[in-house]
Amino acid sequence: MKLIDLAALDHEEKSTADVINSVCEELGFDYASYATMNPVKGDVQGYANYPDEWKIHYGSHGYHHFDPTIYQSVLSIAPVDWSRFNQDENFNAVFRDAHDFGITPRGLTVPVRGPYGECGILSVTRDCSDGEWEKLKKHVMGDLQMAAVHAHDMVMQSGVLAKALYLPALSTREKEILQWVAEGKSQQDVGDILSISHRTVEVHMRSGREKLGALTTPQAIGRAIGLGLIAPG
Amino acid sequence: MIIVIDGINQHKFKDVLDDMFKLRARVFGDRLGWEVNIVDGRERDMFDDLNPAHVVSINDEGEVVGCMRLLQTTGPHMLSDVFNSILDGEPPLRSSQVWEATRFCVDTKKLGRGRGKNSVSYVTSEVMIGSFEYAKTAGVLDSIAVIDPVMNRVLQRSGNAPYDYLGSAKPMGKVVAMAALMDCSDERISGIRDYAGIDHDVFMSDEQALELFAQGKTEAPANTNHQPLTDLEKYFVEQMNAAKTEAERQDVLKLIETLMDTFTPEQRTALLETPRAFAHEA
Repeated sequence: MKLIDLAALDHEEKSTADVINSVCEELGFDYASYATMNPVKGDVQGYANYPDEWKIHYGSHGYHHFDPTIYQSVLSIAPVDWSRFNQDENFNAVFRDAHDFGITPRGLTVPVRGPYGECGILSVTRDCSDGEWEKLKKHVMGDLQMAAVHAHDMVMQSGVLAKALYLPALSTREKEILQWVAEGKSQQDVGDILSISHRTVEVHMRSGREKLGALTTPQAIGRAIGLGLIAPG
Repeated sequence: MIIVIDGINQHKFKDVLDDMFKLRARVFGDRLGWEVNIVDGRERDMFDDLNPAHVVSINDEGEVVGCMRLLQTTGPHMLSDVFNSILDGEPPLRSSQVWEATRFCVDTKKLGRGRGKNSVSYVTSEVMIGSFEYAKTAGVLDSIAVIDPVMNRVLQRSGNAPYDYLGSAKPMGKVVAMAALMDCSDERISGIRDYAGIDHDVFMSDEQALELFAQGKTEAPANTNHQPLTDLEKYFVEQMNAAKTEAERQDVLKLIETLMDTFTPEQRTALLETPRAFAHEA
């Protein structure tokens, strides 16, 4: 089982590294990483913007074989605060030397499950007080969830086979709503036109955006038009 | 009170989960007549093997009285793989901020009517509060729940009406199943809390949940699990009944402890914990 730094393989996968970096910049974390396990070979592959010395230390000690922030977190459906691993000897083994590298054991991991049962994880850390950490979590958890699924889908879509399987399956409702937005209608308008609540419009839009791997509604509209799922407004 | 059991802590809660699967068998198999797979009095399906989060309600007597199962819609879940006919051939929602809620049930045998602590209404609200608060903390904004029309009416009556439905209600075995949308918002949570009169934190720590559940197991009638009383046990019962002071009672307990090896572990626990409970059987 190998530890593969996907950023070292150049091509479009760079964009997942971008997601990782923007998670830190925009949401206020020190470091972030994305990892997924190849279900066939068991390799852990991913991106991290940790200092190189820590990456080398981590890899050379084989921490990716037993790091609970990877192996335990995929067992949860909700983000896992690393404080849950306080008593875990594997966790303490990984983070014993972390201080020397400027890495804090204060972090959390957002697990993502894909449609074929595959798993990915987005981990973030920040060196701060308890109060600050709780406040930050409350504030950014939704954004972290979106970033995690975004990073995961990006990695999954980079394969040729996955590309074919991942052609987004938009429902009639999702297409209909995107079509009306492409026509210049506001969310409230769309709700009125379709006689559904604005909350229903919102839940379908969010799902549509994520299926299309888009961060914003305009981006989702662009992609949906590009894929021929809706007509230009 | 509520305990959330997921893939990380499930090894501690095997017995709680076992009781939960038995409850699900009684509700979905026996009472509602759903086409579910029941083995050995326990209802389980493939989604239970995918490390879902189980939101479990344990009452003050330490019994499992309600539960709900949560899964991410980004991965395999019931609406994408089993209940897709509800969606009229449409692909399901897929969003990191939408969770799916299934297998929602409460124990109508142990719980009564009304709005008190041991009522169907109270536990329904408690499980809902637990689920929505757990989801909200995880950054989740909405949940899609597979429910039947009876549950739908219960939700509407308890300050927790779905804001919309997906697809259309479809017969599943003897009952009808539908997909209801509910926001995991502060407004909804406080609505349920107001209705049920629950203003405390509903969550227990792992340790508290284990303690409460263990309490339920030992409080059961002491002599239900083992053989008719032996002569030696009868003797202890008589001694215990005859004991007039606390000191005499302690002496009997000491004697039981001295003769530990003659008993099975169950007998020993029964004798030591509730020596008076089986007196009437002697």
